[in-house]
Amino acid sequence: MDFVEHPGRLYVVATLLPLASFFLLLLLGAIRNAARPYRESGLGRTIYQLCGGDRPNTIGAYVATTAIALSCVLCLVGLVWFLQTHPVSDSHGHAHAAGHHDDHGHADDHGNKAGDKPAEKEHDHSAIVEHVDDAWAERITFARVGSLRPEVDKRIGLELQLGYRIDHLAAVMFAMVTFIATLIHLFSAGYMREELDTPVVDHQVHLPSGEHLHRRGRYSRFFMYLSLFCFSMLNLVLADNLFQVFVSWELVGVCSFLLIGFYYERQSASNAANKAFITNRVGDAGFIIGMLILWTYVGTLNFQDLTQRVRAPQSDAHNEHYALHGQLVRLQPEGEPSADGRQLYRWTPDGSGSHVALFPMSSHWHGIGNQEEQNQEIRVRGGRIDRYGVIPYFMLTIAGLGIFLGCVGKSAQFPLHVWLPDAMEGPTPVSALIHAATMVAAGVYLVGRAFPLFTPEARMVIAYTGGITLFVAATIAIVMNDIKKVLAYSTVSQLGYMMLALGIGGWVAGLLHLLTHAFFKALLFLGSGSVIFGCHHEQDMRKMGGLLTKMPVTAVTMLVGVLAIAGTPLFSGWYSKDAIIAQGLGFAAVYPQHLLLLALPLITAGITCFYMFRMWFLTFTGEPKDHHVYEHAHESPRIMTIPLIVLAIFSVIVAWGWPVWSAHDSFLGKVLHAAQPAAVTADLSVVESLVHDHDGWVHPAAGFLAFFAAAIGVIFAFLVYHFRTLDAADTKEQFAPLYRLFERKWYFDELYSALLVRPALVVANWCRLVDAKGIDGVVDGTGRAAVAVAKGHGIFDQGAIDRVANAVAAASQAVGAGLRRIQTGRLRHYVVFLVLAAVGTFLVLTYFLSLARADQ
Amino acid sequence: MLDNDMLLMTLVIFLPSVFALGLLFFPNDWKEGMRWFALLGSGITLVLSLFMLVDYLNLLDQAPTGDRAPWHGSAASLDARVEAENTRQASGQPGDSMDYVGKRPWIRRFNIEYFLGVDGISMPLLVLTTALSFLALIASWGIDRYVKGYLMLFLLLETGMVGTFLALDFFLFYIFWEVMLLPMYFLIGVWGGPRREYAAIKFFLYTLLGSVFILIAMLGFYFTDVSPFIEPAAYKKAFDALPRSTPPRGPQFFAEWRAEREGQVEAHTFDLLVLKRVGAAAFLHLTGRTDEIKVNVPVWNNANQVTAVEQKEIGQLDESQKKLAMSKLEQPFFTRGFQVAMFLLLFIGFAIKLPMFPFHTWLPDAHVEAPTPISMILAGVLLKLGGYGILRIAVPICPWATQADIWGSSLAWWIALFGIINIVYGAFAAMAQTDFKKLVAYSSISHMGYVILGIAAWRVVEGRTVGEQYWAWGMNGAMFQMMAHGISSAGMFFLVGVIYDRAHHRNLDNFRGLMEPMPLYGGVSAIIFFAALGLPGLCGFVGEVMVVLGTWNFSRTFAILAALTVVITAAYILWTMQRVYFGVNPAYKDYEDMNLRELVTVAPLVVLAIALGVFPSYLLLSWMEPSVTGLVENLVSLTGRG
Repeated sequence: MDFVEHPGRLYVVATLLPLASFFLLLLLGAIRNAARPYRESGLGRTIYQLCGGDRPNTIGAYVATTAIALSCVLCLVGLVWFLQTHPVSDSHGHAHAAGHHDDHGHADDHGNKAGDKPAEKEHDHSAIVEHVDDAWAERITFARVGSLRPEVDKRIGLELQLGYRIDHLAAVMFAMVTFIATLIHLFSAGYMREELDTPVVDHQVHLPSGEHLHRRGRYSRFFMYLSLFCFSMLNLVLADNLFQVFVSWELVGVCSFLLIGFYYERQSASNAANKAFITNRVGDAGFIIGMLILWTYVGTLNFQDLTQRVRAPQSDAHNEHYALHGQLVRLQPEGEPSADGRQLYRWTPDGSGSHVALFPMSSHWHGIGNQEEQNQEIRVRGGRIDRYGVIPYFMLTIAGLGIFLGCVGKSAQFPLHVWLPDAMEGPTPVSALIHAATMVAAGVYLVGRAFPLFTPEARMVIAYTGGITLFVAATIAIVMNDIKKVLAYSTVSQLGYMMLALGIGGWVAGLLHLLTHAFFKALLFLGSGSVIFGCHHEQDMRKMGGLLTKMPVTAVTMLVGVLAIAGTPLFSGWYSKDAIIAQGLGFAAVYPQHLLLLALPLITAGITCFYMFRMWFLTFTGEPKDHHVYEHAHESPRIMTIPLIVLAIFSVIVAWGWPVWSAHDSFLGKVLHAAQPAAVTADLSVVESLVHDHDGWVHPAAGFLAFFAAAIGVIFAFLVYHFRTLDAADTKEQFAPLYRLFERKWYFDELYSALLVRPALVVANWCRLVDAKGIDGVVDGTGRAAVAVAKGHGIFDQGAIDRVANAVAAASQAVGAGLRRIQTGRLRHYVVFLVLAAVGTFLVLTYFLSLARADQ
Repeated sequence: MLDNDMLLMTLVIFLPSVFALGLLFFPNDWKEGMRWFALLGSGITLVLSLFMLVDYLNLLDQAPTGDRAPWHGSAASLDARVEAENTRQASGQPGDSMDYVGKRPWIRRFNIEYFLGVDGISMPLLVLTTALSFLALIASWGIDRYVKGYLMLFLLLETGMVGTFLALDFFLFYIFWEVMLLPMYFLIGVWGGPRREYAAIKFFLYTLLGSVFILIAMLGFYFTDVSPFIEPAAYKKAFDALPRSTPPRGPQFFAEWRAEREGQVEAHTFDLLVLKRVGAAAFLHLTGRTDEIKVNVPVWNNANQVTAVEQKEIGQLDESQKKLAMSKLEQPFFTRGFQVAMFLLLFIGFAIKLPMFPFHTWLPDAHVEAPTPISMILAGVLLKLGGYGILRIAVPICPWATQADIWGSSLAWWIALFGIINIVYGAFAAMAQTDFKKLVAYSSISHMGYVILGIAAWRVVEGRTVGEQYWAWGMNGAMFQMMAHGISSAGMFFLVGVIYDRAHHRNLDNFRGLMEPMPLYGGVSAIIFFAALGLPGLCGFVGEVMVVLGTWNFSRTFAILAALTVVITAAYILWTMQRVYFGVNPAYKDYEDMNLRELVTVAPLVVLAIALGVFPSYLLLSWMEPSVTGLVENLVSLTGRG
């Protein structure tokens, strides 16, 4: 474990620590359950007691929290180390003239500071992704077929790898994930306390006899699942290739399944768990298709390699600078393929070609499209990673959309958003960790990582999907009465913001929002968990009210979270939301036909403020609506409130920069900017120059618009829920159809049930019948026919052949019986026969003798 | 007499039968003794097969080429080893005792040999067989009627299975193939469930039908004169065995006499490797590259004697020799119709066992009625024999047929289509089942569809293979899927058996709430079921993802369909878990969790499922892959490269 030479391995250890915790707890639980039948005496008893005995274990909390806390420490150390060796330059916002991106040669600085490897230069001919050297990136083989260098060994080769590549984005994500996870582990240690009761009473499950369910506690199991989840999530962030991301993708899905279905005796919980996993699998199918296309055409799944092949590098092997740096180079095929299968492709400067060039990953090649006469065409035959290749443009778009479909599933975007609200069946810390801060953020993270692979059409789909999602989810959140459902739809909506931002080129904006949102959404969820815990598992806001005096810490911290999500200046959400609106404004200014991509986020900003303040007012202010709940409400223990306070502090300061009041000087933003791929500025150069012109009109205008929208939302919230000027019930009556639409969640569940679930069951039943009646009918029919033929044979045998045989037998018997009568017993008869026989013989002999004499 | 490797291989095959005979001496009522004795036999066989595995890994290590990793060495391939062995035998040298191929003449009249050998394709399946047999015997402790008969038949079955994987002579292969049928019939028909007679006879007749097809093909191959393609030493032997004939005096008659002598040489064989060469020759002939076929050519000296036999391409032969070679190529074997017909016969024969739609309906019935350990063996091993047969026999001997144009698409495309039908149809049918075991049976059918898809994905465009690395990828995935499915399927059937032993029913609608009284069982089930679902980190994922990754190059539609089916797979597996383990059901609250015996049976499967999912390359792929990729290389070299 050479950490000085390979500091990136710190992150590998940080990822594997939760896995170790998981296996330890799994083994402990398995041994305990295996020893349970033998727990009466002897060795079995010893083992059983050692692994916890009859009472529920608390060891799970200790092991899991220690593991994740250690991970957090390692990640923070790694972050500091990385930032020291890869300092963030201050050139954010300056010198972004269209087309020339010389200062994106951060690569050169970093290469020199982190330890020069001159020989590397030959193969690293691109700064189209952030340059990190071997100290922060490594790979191993997961599955390999054949040789990888066909010119040395004639065998054929492909390889799936596992590896890591730490850049600024990964370092920051690691720090965020581990930090929030540690806080949530601490929170859960308090929240899940009732799993330590003996027995646990589940009030939502009714046995046939009428009473509530009594069961054993599952305290340690919760932390075991949390550990597995942390490992999967960290592996996702660590991954440097799509395959590893997919592996983690599914693993976080399974952890989500296990955790949503934690109270599995409840039918609603196991249904929700199934729904989550299956909906995610639909997205995964798209992900697989995206992987298939890239694997078959490009031959690799590594992010860096993919980007280097798909996008024009900074310079070619002859170190000539590329004017097309970071762009998709489009080609048009010309003529028919030659006899040996080579096809000619010509560069199309106007970008109308039907194919995209795939640059070789080798040391000797000329740059196509580099403005020189001889670099206008290439000849391509077959796919090899060390030669030029092509991928049809629409295939690249489909691949991008496939990967995006995976992100849609994971990040609960329209139309695969239906699982997230149901996922609130799980314990609240789970909702905080998985369904707010981390797992659902994975989709956004992947869109950010895979950004260079998206064609402009794919990006537009991403942007509009985000736009629709953020609006639809916000409208539903207005009418929800369950505190967790409000937060769930709020999460969906905010994820839509991130997707929209990424789609229109706000790479830093979207990912900055991901980071800030993780903090304040985790805070809000944990706060709601504290409320639920304090109100003894009451989740309906219509039964709350006036809890400010009873749970002051929770109330104040949640207010901080609400202010953050509303985009109040100086709170972390302000920086990221401002950036998104600014990007939207810049994009709409350049492409006025996409005005919707500005209007939707603005309007929804107002709606967001409205429903968030509505939630806060309903819960904490006003008259208590249910006195029973109010009487027994209490503040949560310190182990739960301390994480709240810490998260509240971070919800304010995490995006601060210098000067603090400047929205686009966020330090976190600058860190993220260092990891931005060149494709962002290459594809959207005009928009970028507009948005990042700090002396221009975009940022002030965006700030004003955002503030205005938020203010409207807050004012309405105050009017309806605090000052009671407008009556909520009246409004509900007036807009009844709209209300119903929102309350029924835009009828998505009903739509999917009718369109997908029921037809699938019908098809399944049909398949079963085809087998049972159809194919087996033929098989059994053949069997019956064979038996009938056999019977026919039998009949034939018995009837015909046997009859012949019997007839012959009868005939011979008759003849015998007849001949028997010659034996009369009288001598004179025998004498007559003798004489007759003698005469007869004599006659026959004479006849034959005469014949013989006639011959001669 | 027998080299070490032949001895070891023979022992691994026949030791179970020896123990079966030994069981005869046990009194009928000493059931425990008989069970332990049989387990001992199976255990020793398992240990021997593990010795073989270690030896095979050593073998791979010792035969490197160039600067590549030693396990890619071509000197370790089966073809190279057999050729070396033949050369050694012909020149009278003692055989290499560690090369794991061995040949002894058996029935000389028909040129049938006792020919055994392993390579990367049969070795993992061999270890899987012995391991699953051992575990299934542990699971057989609950069998109480006619224990002696059961154990004897089981051990006989194991002999048949192991022999099939080791045999490289078609006749020997066929004998072992048939040896498996009868014990299975009785094992299902006597110790099975309510409809056992129906299931047993359905299984038996269906599989026998397939066997008959294989027999026809085998005879078709035997009656072909393969003298241009047998080993040179054997050719010389055949030449020396011709009846004596004095050569003519005048040199002007030499050529004619020599040609006549050469024409008299005839050879018939069951040797699978020779037949593979003949199949390759047929491919070259039918695609117009006849000149590249290598044939045996005797070398005459001035005294009109044949001193040696060499192999030359037809294009380099002189007139008379070419005429002779071309006349050999006129045999029915080298015609289009014969190739396709034989391939179809072989393929259908093996596909019945795979099982492939529409020949699959014997499987649900056989699985439902068979006792738990027999289900484990059936799913874990017998299904793999179908895939193995296709890989070892059908595709290498009739490769041209896979590219034959049938109604506008290659036969390989049609086979892949049936593979996709398996995947999708099996998944949907599984979703509609209410019998737990039948559901697992249909999920087996669905998983074997991936095997068919991986094997069939050979894309040839205008005589040139396009994307051969993707076919190799898919083929390796198919082999891995066979191993992974063996583990997860056997595990699933065992787990169904565990609950059936307690509840005495398998109705999915009547379970619920098993997690509470049996948490260990629930946890183990979760792992095995997730392995069947193809969750990354478990064994079922690697094979599936490799096959699907290799399919896009072959056919986009199939790849998309295979990718979309993961949703259905997840749906029925999760729904099943919900119906069986989650929820509340007071009726089962007194059920006992898995006891030690059950745990010992399923624990190795769990460990393997996780290990193979996390370290696929190190544990299996690295030593299996050279043989599979070698097979693909051999076939692809028959076409041009795209």
